[in-house]
Amino acid sequence: MGVRGVFKKYVPKPGRREYVTFLLLIAEIILFGILAPNFLTIDNMIRVIQNNAEIAMVSLGMTIVMLLGGIDLSVGSVMGVIAILIGYMLQANVNIFIIVIAAIGIGIGVGFVNGFLVAKFNIPDMIVTIATMNIWKAVIFALLGGKWLTGLNPSWAPVSRAKFLGIPVLLLLIIAVYAVFYYFLMYRRFGRYIYATGCNPQSANLSGINIKRIKLISYCISGGIAAIAAMLYIARMGSVEMTIGSDLPIACIAAVTIGGTGAKGNGKRGSVIGTLAGVLFIAFLKNGIVILGIPSLLENCFIGLLIVISVLFDAVTAGGRVIKKNREVTA
Amino acid sequence: MKRIAFSIAKSRTKFLLLLFVVELIVLSLISPYFFDMNNLMQVTQFGASLTLLSLGEALVMIAGRDGIDISIGSAMSLSGVIFGLSVMNGAGIFSATIITLVSGIFLGAVNGSLVAVAKIPALIATLGTQYIYGSLALYLTGGIPISGFPDGFKALSLESTFGIPNQILFVVIPVTALVFILVYKMKFGRRVYLMGTNFEAAKYTGIKEKKVRMCVYILAGLLASISAVINNSWLMTARADAGTGMEMQAITVAVLGGIGVAGGVGHLGGVLIGVIIITMMNSGLQIANINSVWQLAALGFILVLAIILNHTMARFVANVEKNGE
Repeated sequence: MGVRGVFKKYVPKPGRREYVTFLLLIAEIILFGILAPNFLTIDNMIRVIQNNAEIAMVSLGMTIVMLLGGIDLSVGSVMGVIAILIGYMLQANVNIFIIVIAAIGIGIGVGFVNGFLVAKFNIPDMIVTIATMNIWKAVIFALLGGKWLTGLNPSWAPVSRAKFLGIPVLLLLIIAVYAVFYYFLMYRRFGRYIYATGCNPQSANLSGINIKRIKLISYCISGGIAAIAAMLYIARMGSVEMTIGSDLPIACIAAVTIGGTGAKGNGKRGSVIGTLAGVLFIAFLKNGIVILGIPSLLENCFIGLLIVISVLFDAVTAGGRVIKKNREVTA
Repeated sequence: MKRIAFSIAKSRTKFLLLLFVVELIVLSLISPYFFDMNNLMQVTQFGASLTLLSLGEALVMIAGRDGIDISIGSAMSLSGVIFGLSVMNGAGIFSATIITLVSGIFLGAVNGSLVAVAKIPALIATLGTQYIYGSLALYLTGGIPISGFPDGFKALSLESTFGIPNQILFVVIPVTALVFILVYKMKFGRRVYLMGTNFEAAKYTGIKEKKVRMCVYILAGLLASISAVINNSWLMTARADAGTGMEMQAITVAVLGGIGVAGGVGHLGGVLIGVIIITMMNSGLQIANINSVWQLAALGFILVLAIILNHTMARFVANVEKNGE
């Protein structure tokens, strides 16, 4: 094996699983394109991207948390709380830089609470985030008091509508953020620590990785990204209402699992590339359901089915692989 | 003093009873009417559905392998809607109940086959089915509650015998007794506990893991559908959101009752005291006129505190035992 071979071995690549998601995505686009004539129009595509920017963002944080075998059900409510706080700060004419820094700071702080409970007390991720989700929901209720916050017009609002050379700025932003995360997860030490910890916590710990700190940081990232999503939400909607973010966790978990990152036991696999394909899949699915006139009450049913099917797919293929390996060992 | 603390920390029942007494004192200070036998009996009916759901949830958690069922709330909504639709389509109350129980078994079997047979992580599988069941319930009703049950149906949950609400006396107590017999007097229960305590050992003893785990999820689904029937009779409507948030309450109750999230640990008796504590807290908050969103937040706090408590108490007990030797 020459130098090139060794080098090749150490460059991580997205696996075959991500290609499956991309194939599914293409099949979906073709299917909807045939069924609904106004699906494959530029206007519609742009609208889909604009409406799902938050899901795209939050799914990134969710990917990192789920790579470590965790899950973060509180992202939706966290985004809601931060959006409301941003709204109040906008109404009080606070300086824009202070708002942005405060929002991200609060997001990281909220994520820290989740991460601290998970890492320090060894509480299962799901239990912690289900609890904090409900606590933040109550905080949303207390902050809004049944009213809506309307007429918010932050100075970053043009981001959600602007175009650069005919391409929506949001799309460029999403691609840029995904590229940065891809680079950090695949080529930097911190990212490799995340994969190592998700793959095998014991051996990661023995090789000197502080797995508790990795977990804590992953939740902080998730919270910080929820803050960015809150800013995008306000830019798009200009208002905040009570049910903000209630459907966000399920959509993000669906996007991440369809992208190939499973919870628990599947941690080593998956990448942000797969997540991006998963996000697009969910976004086009939601759009297609509306265009085809399928009752929107069934939307969550489809998303739930997709989660189950994609995890089922992973379970079946991973199972086959394990059996094969065992045979080789015994032979 | 330290000995008393140790004995309380070691026995979950003592600790829960202490918590229960403290709660009673606090609630009767808030409202003088609370500590009244009549009121206490009326409060029990709020806990009817929760008791059945938590028993199922606790069993799923005891069976281990990160077992959890967050779909039971939606399963309760969906089977309640199925009950309502079958009555609307001319089925009698009795046959509608049978249909509902069968559908509950089916919903549980779907979860069971995903978790036990396909070996999908329970959390993801039941998260998916939670959304499937919930949105099917919404779709079937179109978001409009189904009402217009025959008047005789009231007898199940809106009347009492000997001052005890009917659904407690005739449904919850017998079903709970059956579950206790199944778990603590029969082979099934020993198998579930062994599977949770030591998965490998259970396998080598010849326990058919798939079958037992499947049964646990089916039992959770069945209990959810029974609670759906009770709930329908209590509200005299079938609502698509009847079970929303119930899974959260059931998990909280199970954890508070001392069921270990890793499996194999805890007794269903603790779960029952947990149900009483949570039900009284909810009704206390209602008497004090506090919004239901805060009830959920309070549950969240209790959930986190209960787990931190489990953690610290286990360490305290281990410490004392180590020093004692």
